[in-house]
Order: sequence, then C-alpha cells, then structure tokens
Amino acid sequence: MKRMIVVLSIIIPLLFSLPVYAGPPLDAVQANVNKVLEVLRDPKLKAASAKEIRKEKLRLIYERMFDDVELSKRTLSRHWNSMNVAQRKEFVLLFRQVLEKAYIDKILAYTDEKIVFDRENMVSETQAEIQTIIVTASKEIPITYRVILKGGAWKVYDIVIENVSLVLNYRTQFNDILAKNTPEQLLEILRKKVKGQ
Amino acid sequence: MKFFSFPVLPFVFFAVGCAHSPDPAATLAPPLVSPPTRQVLIVSDPVQIPPNPAEMPVQSETRNVDEYGDIEVPEKVSREAKPEIADPLEPFNRAMYHFNDKLYFWLLKPVAQGYGKVVPEAARVGVSNFFANLAFPIRFVNCLLQANFEGAAAELGRFTINTLWGVGGFLDPASSKDIHLSKQDEDFGQTLGAYGIGQGFFINWPLFGPSSPRDTVGLVGDGFLTPYSYLSPWYAGAGTRGYDMVNDTSLKIGDYESLKGAAIDPYVAIRDAYVQYRLKKVNRKGGNTPAEDLELPKK
Repeated sequence: MKRMIVVLSIIIPLLFSLPVYAGPPLDAVQANVNKVLEVLRDPKLKAASAKEIRKEKLRLIYERMFDDVELSKRTLSRHWNSMNVAQRKEFVLLFRQVLEKAYIDKILAYTDEKIVFDRENMVSETQAEIQTIIVTASKEIPITYRVILKGGAWKVYDIVIENVSLVLNYRTQFNDILAKNTPEQLLEILRKKVKGQ
Repeated sequence: MKFFSFPVLPFVFFAVGCAHSPDPAATLAPPLVSPPTRQVLIVSDPVQIPPNPAEMPVQSETRNVDEYGDIEVPEKVSREAKPEIADPLEPFNRAMYHFNDKLYFWLLKPVAQGYGKVVPEAARVGVSNFFANLAFPIRFVNCLLQANFEGAAAELGRFTINTLWGVGGFLDPASSKDIHLSKQDEDFGQTLGAYGIGQGFFINWPLFGPSSPRDTVGLVGDGFLTPYSYLSPWYAGAGTRGYDMVNDTSLKIGDYESLKGAAIDPYVAIRDAYVQYRLKKVNRKGGNTPAEDLELPKK
C-alpha cells in the first residue's frame, strides 16, 4: 500500500505534465489520419446500420485533429471582427457542420486508397505544411494539411486539395456574401445549408 | 510513509501547478503549499491529490474567451497570396455556369455513367493515358517555351517510353518506380503566365468552363498542338474530343457534385478553385509570379 502510494504520487504528476513536447507535426497528422483509417477499415462497422457510429467516431477524431476556431478565423478573416462573440461561436459550430455534411460521404466512401505521407515543411516555429498524396486507381490526389502548434498539440487549420485551399475557397465565398449581406444573414444562409438538402 | 511522501508531494504540486495554470496570479498554488493542506492530502487517497478539477474549468473558460476574441492583426491572417480575379462579366458567367451545370447533369454525366458501366475502369484509365500521351506536344513545347529543359527532356522520354513499351500510350510505364518520369502538366496558358501575363478577368465559357482571356488564348494555342484537331473532316476531331471528355468524366464522377455540394455559392466556389488552381500551376515551375494575380483586391 505504502509503495503504491509512492509510485502513484510519482506517476500522476508525470501524467499531468506530459503534453509539453508535441513531436514533429507530420507524426501528429499521420497518427490522426491512421485513426480515421482504422475506423473506416473496421469490418465490424462496415454495415450500413453502423454509419452513425462511424460518423460519431470520426467526429471525435476531428475534434482532436482540427482547430475549429482557427479555421473559422482564417476563413472569415477581417469579417471575424465584425461579428459579436455569440455570432462567432455560432459560426464555428455551423461551419463545422457544413464541412461535415460536405465531406463525410467522401470520407466514408473510402475503399482501399493508399495515403502517402510525403514530407513536412516547417513554415515557422509553430506552423507547418504536411504534404500527402492519395493514390487511387486512376489518379493521384495531392492533399496538404496546414497545421499550427496550439496548447502543445499540432492542429489542422486548413486543407489544400489539388492546390485549392479550403480556407481560401470559403473565404472568397464569404467575402462575396458579406459584401451584400450582414453577418446575421450569412449565419441564416449557413443554418439553411446545414438543415436543407 | 511520511518519510517518502513529503519530498514527493511538493513535486506533485509543482508539476501539476506548472502544467495547468496559465496565469500564475490566479492559481491555487499558495494555499496548497501551506502545511495544513499538505497534511489533509497525505491522509486522503493520492488519486485525488491534484487540485485539477477545481482548476480546469477556470482555465478552459479563460481559454474560450481568448479564442473567440478579436483577431489582432487581420492583415496578417489574410496575407497569404490572395488569389482573386475580377469578374466584370458576372451575369453572363453565372448564366453560363447554369448552362454548364445542366449540360453536365443532363447530358455528360448520364452518357459517362452509361459508358462507365460498359467499359471497365482499367480500360478507361488506359484510354485516358492514351489521350494524355497524344497531348505530349503541348507539354513538350510549353516546357521549352518556359526554358524548362529538364521538363522537356522528361516529356520526350515519357513519350518515347510510353509509345514504344506502353502499347501506344495505353500504359504508363514511364511513371513506374524504376523510371519515374512524371508528367509535366504544362500548357500555353501557364507559359503566358510564366511570362508575366496575368489572368485578366474571369470568363466562364459554355462547354469549356472556367477560363480567362489569357487561358483562352492558351487553349487556342494548345489546340494547334493537339494531333486530333487536324483530323478531317472536322467532326472527326470534335467527336474524338467529345469521347476524350466522356472518358475523362467517367473517371471523375462525383467530383463536381461534391464541389458543388460543399459550396455555399457554387459559382463563386468554382471560380475561386479555378483561380487558385491555375495560380499554383503557373508559380510551380520557377516562373515569375504574375503581379496581377497576387494583387490585393481593389473592391
């Protein structure tokens, strides 16, 4: 008993002080992508009835892998500042749902494509780009993850698919919408987008 | 017990305190170090030692407020090269977007799907390789025009290897690991871009889709280097091009749908994707960055 207490009192502080060194960004992204692949390859979850379970598992990974708020800030850019905090919070939630709706079926349709982790470019101390390639039967799709070091972990804030940055693409669209509409109207458009179709 | 625990516990407080309190002024550290607290903790179960439960909510709240605060320097966030394009023809372009959209869903997609059901994927990839091999002159000449001699040599090697050992271009042995000559995706629009000519403005052509004055000139220029445009009669060439398009579409069904589905405004999304895609392609091979493409929007 005594010994256990001693051991525990050494181990516990170690557990709580772990996330100081985040490791190379490529490893962080790769670990998360592998977790996604694990879910997608799991034969127990292949049935159509398990779709919701798979979605739920992917959501959990997404939360650890992505920095929602950073992604939203960069997408809205200067318009972020013209929203109030409540609007910002709602935007982050809605935007996440828009992205989920847009890409979940693509992700769930994964069969056996190979994912090659090509290399990492350090943009700065806290920012990096991880280049990957998805190899399908007919083509190779380059996908770059842009990551930022926050709270001791590398988080994805932009994905560049075939040279097209997701953040930039949505920024252009939101700029266009906000040139003619108020932030509240943008939120309404997003609410409809999430609900509809 | 006391002998072991006493030296250890301050360490516990240190480690836990350090890792979890962003703001030293707001921590619970001082009372914890004081003797009475320490005694209580020794008696209790060590698992409950860390004062974290009390501390965590405080921390996450402050973090949230910061996270949703104003962005300090908005310019900094948006300073990455900003690919934007003027769109003075927007009403026309939007009309053409709807035209092309219907063309895709009512004609191109059903035809490509039917074709895809009859012809196995491997064969369609072969056909796609064949047409790509046939378009070798475009890539070769444009590599030369951009003084990319390495690329031109790679293209010449690819054409020779794939034509001779790739059954007239249906296979792509040049891309294999052993030879590893990758396709140089160059065209005349990119060459003009490398010479410093900007996109100008956006044009959405019926049938041909997103383009610009520069890339339209590029498309016409490349037409002269496409072997099947010299087929006679004219509809043989057009038919070949149509077949190329159907074959290509059959390998990409779903791409346009997901792009459209993901977009809030599909027309703007596609315009932006086109601009980003072309800009990166022009910049990739050591060419000059056309000043106009990098200019900040003047709206």
